[in-house]
Amino acid sequence: MDSLDALVAQVQGFSGTDDLLHLFSLLKQSDELLHNHAPRLQYALSSLDPAKHSLGYLYLLEVQSSGTLSQEQSENFLALASTFLNVCIAEQICLAPEKFNMVCRRVKEQALQLQEPLRAILPLQAAIRKLQPSSEFLTAMHADFLQMCLLAKCYKASLSVLEDDIFEIDQKRTGLVPRDFLLYCYYGGMIHIGLKQFGKALEFFQHAITAPATVLNAITIAAYKKFVLVSLIQLGQVPLFPKYTPPVVQRNLKSCVQDYVDLATSYVTRNIADVKGYITTHEDAFKSDNNLGLARQVIASLYKRNIQRLTQTYLTLSLQDIADNVQLDGPKEAELHILQMIQDGEIFARINQKDGMVSFQEDPEQYNTSAMTMRLNLEIHNIVRLAKKLTSVDEQVSCDQVYLSKIGRDRPRYETEDFDIVPQKMYTNL
Amino acid sequence: MAIPVNGSVAGPSGLSFSAVQEAIKAGLYADLANIIDTLELEVSAAGASKPQDWPYAIQILAHVFNHDLNSARFVWKRTPDAVKQSNPELVAAWKIVQCMWMHDHAGVYAALRAYSWASDVQQVVAAVGEDYSHGMLKLLSTAYSTVSVVDAAAFLGLSENDVVTFTSQQHGWVLDPATKMLTVMPMVAAATKKTDSSQLQNLTEYVFHLEH
Repeated sequence: MDSLDALVAQVQGFSGTDDLLHLFSLLKQSDELLHNHAPRLQYALSSLDPAKHSLGYLYLLEVQSSGTLSQEQSENFLALASTFLNVCIAEQICLAPEKFNMVCRRVKEQALQLQEPLRAILPLQAAIRKLQPSSEFLTAMHADFLQMCLLAKCYKASLSVLEDDIFEIDQKRTGLVPRDFLLYCYYGGMIHIGLKQFGKALEFFQHAITAPATVLNAITIAAYKKFVLVSLIQLGQVPLFPKYTPPVVQRNLKSCVQDYVDLATSYVTRNIADVKGYITTHEDAFKSDNNLGLARQVIASLYKRNIQRLTQTYLTLSLQDIADNVQLDGPKEAELHILQMIQDGEIFARINQKDGMVSFQEDPEQYNTSAMTMRLNLEIHNIVRLAKKLTSVDEQVSCDQVYLSKIGRDRPRYETEDFDIVPQKMYTNL
Repeated sequence: MAIPVNGSVAGPSGLSFSAVQEAIKAGLYADLANIIDTLELEVSAAGASKPQDWPYAIQILAHVFNHDLNSARFVWKRTPDAVKQSNPELVAAWKIVQCMWMHDHAGVYAALRAYSWASDVQQVVAAVGEDYSHGMLKLLSTAYSTVSVVDAAAFLGLSENDVVTFTSQQHGWVLDPATKMLTVMPMVAAATKKTDSSQLQNLTEYVFHLEH
């Protein structure tokens, strides 16, 4: 019997759970065999069932898709891979996460080659769910999935994955590399910008900036540029680096993004003419970073911020005065701006068209409706969940060998009256 | 299992939009956006291209109904140019989104009436129009203490006489004929304030958590 046929028969025979590890070691050794029989892989694949023989199917699919593919081969591969990713058995493919990641990456690349990123969205989403031990784990496919959603302009499709809180990074189980994490943060931030959720976008970009690093990389720089613009829109200023930012980032990042830092300095003066002028002179720089749209939103946010400042000083103000103060073209434009802000809930005011006056008011929210109660319940529930998670992480660290050895070694520095924090045997045997 | 080598499908396909039709018939306009978006992803994942009778206009209007202008814009952006040129209904729906985006209220009502929509699309259009004018009325009553008749007419899509009759009879607004200004009466929002025993359970859990 031919060696490829023998392998196929073994896959069919050993795909039950008892012999899976044996099958896995066989497959690991058959890489060269599969490459030699590349033209016949199509036939071999058709005699396997991806829903039962997932592990073997994965190996064959990976070899079949390596190298450059013609358009027909590409379409074929994508069709097979889509079905496979939907029906494969999670326990089987979890034995070979690197191969699984490779196949998913090829799905993304072929979809891009055919210029149909929309096509890869559902298969990659299925792949993420199959590889994740739980929704708290980050996989290598998260970044690719988000990139496909961005390119296909299907931002809402990414929400189910994007809204999962990620707590666990496990390189052994998911085959993750640092680049995947950085890209996940960067693309996630971009999607939130597209959905106009600037607060969440800031969170994601901050994760990208504060990720442990020994050298500066292009993803962090690009993330910081967007971080500066989004924090101007959302907060009115750029916050300082948090304490846990890696030193190499703290020292060198600002010098790579001088244009953006200067824009931030100009924004803080609240002078609309200056900010507008700055963006016009540096238009090319912003355009080449694809940040021109975001820069224009920065200008719009400055108008809003200036109007909001007026509410803190005045109880009533005429539309003409508002227009002069904020450097708008006239009372009509001021009225439109104020109306828009009232509609978005950014300001509380009443316009009196008869007198051309605006009277500013307090937030009428009494926080006593059942809708508000539900919202409070949800927020408290989230915080309780987070606190429980923090306690369990704290317990895990307290039992960690490396941590205990460090604490134990420092023991002589403490007072001798202190009770025995760490039994001596925990660290003397190291 | 048949493996399609070239999986693209053109022209009216066997793809059934029955879920879409049922949602429209039942008046569940809020669910339409989700149904159509999921269908779009599934069609694409199967390797097929969208059939000719794909409900582009309904997809855009469904997002508008959910006050999600961003998603409506993205639907337009990912539609190929060939479709944009050959589908006047889609272009008419896009005009509505553009007017809403620019806050051109009179333009929105004009765009809603300007095109003779297909029958199922007409139902969605009517729902969108009603929801929009209701939203505008709410905005007027919170944002203005006095408003000119001309502006109110533009906001609500009515003629000047109609808007005076409508607001004074249904909402108690007062017209000052000399200046042609309407004094706005704030809308009374019925806020539910009831609490029930499930809240007690929640409170017990929170106190327990805080104690430990």
